[in-house]
Amino acid sequence: MKKTHIIGIILIALAIGMIMSSLVSTSKYATFSESSKNPGSDFHIVGKWDKEKGTEYNPQKDPNLFVFYMKDQEGVEHKVLLHNTKPQDFEKSEQVVVIGKMKEANFEASETLVKCPSKYNDNKPVQ
Amino acid sequence: MAIHYIGEHTWAGFLGNVFLVLSFTAAILAAVAYFLTASKPLEDNSWKQIGRISFRIHSLSVLGIMSILFVMLYNHYFEYQYIWQHSNKEMPMKYIFSCFWEGQEGSFLLWTFWHVVLGNILIRYSKEWEAPVMTVFSFVQIFLASMLLGIYIGKLHIGSNPFLLVREMPENMGLPWTKLANYLEKIPYFQDGRGLNPLLQNYWMTIHPPTLFLGFASTLVPFAYAIAGLWKRKLDSWQNQALPWTFFGIMILGTGILMGGAWAYEALTFGGFWAWDPVENASLVPWLCFVGAGHVMLVNKNRKISLFTTFFLTILTFILVLYSTFLTRSGILGNTSVHAFTDLGMSGQLMLYMLFFVWMSVTLLVLNKRLQLIYTILSFLLLFLGIVTGVKTALVSLFGVLSLAVLIMGYQKYFPKEEKEEELWTREFWMFIGSLVLAIASFQVILYTSFPVINKIIQVDFVHSLIQGLHGKLVQWFNFKGLANFASGKLAPEKNAIAFYNKWQSLFAVVVAFLVGFGQFLKYKNTPFKPFIQNLVAAFLIAAILTAFISYGLPKNNELQYVLNTLLCFSSLFAILANIDYWRKVGKGKLSKSGSSIAHIGFGLILLGALISNSKKEMISRNIRGDLRTIDKELSNSSNILLSKGDTLPMGNYYVTYLGRRKGLGEDHRYLYFDVEYLKKKENGSYQHEFTLSPLVQRNERMGNVFEPSTHHFIHQDIYTHLATADLDPSIGANAGEYTTPVEKTAGRHDTIYTSNSMLILDSLTTRFNKSRYHLPDSVLAVQANFRALDENGKVFAAQPVFTIQNNESKPIEDTVAALGLRLNFVKVDPANGKITVFVSEEKTNKKDFIVMEAMIFPWINVLWIGCLVMISGTVLAIRERIKKRKDNREQN
Repeated sequence: MKKTHIIGIILIALAIGMIMSSLVSTSKYATFSESSKNPGSDFHIVGKWDKEKGTEYNPQKDPNLFVFYMKDQEGVEHKVLLHNTKPQDFEKSEQVVVIGKMKEANFEASETLVKCPSKYNDNKPVQ
Repeated sequence: MAIHYIGEHTWAGFLGNVFLVLSFTAAILAAVAYFLTASKPLEDNSWKQIGRISFRIHSLSVLGIMSILFVMLYNHYFEYQYIWQHSNKEMPMKYIFSCFWEGQEGSFLLWTFWHVVLGNILIRYSKEWEAPVMTVFSFVQIFLASMLLGIYIGKLHIGSNPFLLVREMPENMGLPWTKLANYLEKIPYFQDGRGLNPLLQNYWMTIHPPTLFLGFASTLVPFAYAIAGLWKRKLDSWQNQALPWTFFGIMILGTGILMGGAWAYEALTFGGFWAWDPVENASLVPWLCFVGAGHVMLVNKNRKISLFTTFFLTILTFILVLYSTFLTRSGILGNTSVHAFTDLGMSGQLMLYMLFFVWMSVTLLVLNKRLQLIYTILSFLLLFLGIVTGVKTALVSLFGVLSLAVLIMGYQKYFPKEEKEEELWTREFWMFIGSLVLAIASFQVILYTSFPVINKIIQVDFVHSLIQGLHGKLVQWFNFKGLANFASGKLAPEKNAIAFYNKWQSLFAVVVAFLVGFGQFLKYKNTPFKPFIQNLVAAFLIAAILTAFISYGLPKNNELQYVLNTLLCFSSLFAILANIDYWRKVGKGKLSKSGSSIAHIGFGLILLGALISNSKKEMISRNIRGDLRTIDKELSNSSNILLSKGDTLPMGNYYVTYLGRRKGLGEDHRYLYFDVEYLKKKENGSYQHEFTLSPLVQRNERMGNVFEPSTHHFIHQDIYTHLATADLDPSIGANAGEYTTPVEKTAGRHDTIYTSNSMLILDSLTTRFNKSRYHLPDSVLAVQANFRALDENGKVFAAQPVFTIQNNESKPIEDTVAALGLRLNFVKVDPANGKITVFVSEEKTNKKDFIVMEAMIFPWINVLWIGCLVMISGTVLAIRERIKKRKDNREQN
């Protein structure tokens, strides 16, 4: 076979390998119940934090532990332990995405994404 | 009854809208006129003048729109939504440009503006190519101008108008205050604007967006030339025109992207210059494709092969810019990125914008009239169905499949293919391979970034059943469950997405860098093998030796990444050394012939700098207080350290002390700086001050406080720090040196007075003490109170306030215990009861002042920045060389 054709095949194999790897090395958007059924895997859970239960952050004790309660899109609520510092303006968040695994009854998160309210919602003139 | 509102500058909005409509209609006219000009033979110029005039009117209207917007921003016309939302009175004027492009409308306008600039240059210089090229330009401008219209056709909302008054906003329609004639004076909301997002208040935001958008705009030029070449069946002559523009675009877009990285490093706190965030990826992906397109264009110009690839990559670059625009502005990325994407409801328009040019490109690429007709009819059928039924995702996907199928068919049957000689050791072959690798690299990034789009497609019923079926078969036959997430239609990037991108992109970088190394010494058509190898031996060996040394220092925790890192180290060193060699031997060290060598050296430095600073990045602020049993090692990100004021803790090679906080002055009054001193312990045990870093908070009650980093730059490393948390309670250290109102306390001998951080025990009173210390003549009556102050750790300090009577008045002499922030004033003696009265005042910072800080070392990051400058300079030189070559060619003919 022509040498140039061999290189071409190598490239195609590389491209296919890359595509497969990208589709397989993934996580999934899920709910707490699915995460409970698969305690070993990481999931992305979207939801809202429960304002009534408040948050817990004691940097003097451990600056890398932030605790709060979150309700996913099915309405199921769990305690979330984020092993990182408290995200700025967490209290202003409208929606929260946590990434991690379920351990017993608590969700152990390594990362979180906080979505803040849309720009049109502040200080509207009310009359 | 029409209300006459007081204080509104309606002339501005009116004029703005006139310009908006004018820019839109002039673009349409220009497109039609230039289309007609291009369709007719070259000599028939009847429509060309109309085209030119229309485009010029369009250009002036765009300038008009921008001027009005600036006038409104400068004069604070807060009755207008865009002005209110993106600026305020307090904002320093130097940030007015950032306000201009903070909003979507403003950034669309910036983009439109650059097209206007490039378009007018092309009118002047593109000669016989003007008509077809400007047709493409004008069509693009129609779409961009429509993004700003803000009109409603029935239920269809087209564009977003930057000149809307707040009271005209849909959510405010009908509200009672909109009927108030003097609402501007009465309602506090309008007295000031919302202001610029604190993250954007720095000089990078003034230079990064215009550079980046010029980069995006410049992808249109080679695209327009490619389309023109296909349209006018001049398949081989457009490359010469497009080449300098292509490399100009590569340089500018590359610079824009690097500026973004520098901004992230200086102003953001994620700790680095690249996070594979969707917005970053959206600009990198077209750039990688652009570089591939430029290099294969060179091959095609010199050897007349790889014509289809040249067309494909050039066109794909522009389409990717349109796709990136869709991705970042349509709101589809909502959950995947921290960037707040406000969906302005333009996703349909953006989609249409991209699909129109996909249709145009595929049609022209297939070259056969019948196939073109069939494709066009089918496309418009799908469009019609989409509008009528509203079923968008399925039909767009179908259009995608159709376009791909037609393209493959057209290429197979109708595209001219060259006779392949295909020698292996030729410059054209390996440059072609390099361009393909770049294209695959860019595909990996866009694939992983497009999960939300993929999810939407998979959720279409019939696609879902198809993929589920495939997944089911894979599980059944091979027990392969890997595609489960894909089949669910809920794909998310894996937990450590950055590592995943780094893995694949380092692999691609290894290959590309290696090609950059040996490619220069390859010749076109054929390369004599022995001299070729001899040219490369030196670079190869030196790179190998250096790599052996450096690889000792590379982290070995992940085996695969360690191998990739070592290979990348070798590859990039090889690329740098081989290009230096080439410059020496062939360019003879002359600057004029060395553009590409220098650019490649810069590229190699960027890869090397990124590799070392990123792989050897060290978190020196590992939390040393936390109980390790409670921290899950896999999950914990225990890279933050808590520093109380006055504490000195070891961190990396330093000892750090948190000195306290201070407010910025003047314009910077919103900034709160936290001074952290870095010390080194000397042999005799004392500490030596090395430097001080002041990570800060920009306070903004409305939009959230923003933390910003503070970095110390050495030649061989950067020490980068930022705060994760700080208590921003204003009673903490408002200004160091501010004391609370004195509190009166009485004490007798052996009594204790308690303060917030100490106990004061009155040991004794004495009249025998060294009065000259206080500049008191011996004759004055004075009593010294001897207090012992104990802090929480039991450490003892002395406090000795003095009571004196001078000129028949009691005059206390204050004593301060600086370490405890205490001030004592001894004001009265009551000998009868054996008690004294003192006033105790405490420093406001005595409330526990602590910060949670993260610090990391980036070794040799200056290699990266130097590489950026070198690559940009090299590309500039290369462009100049190319323009000169083109001029010389013209003069010869």
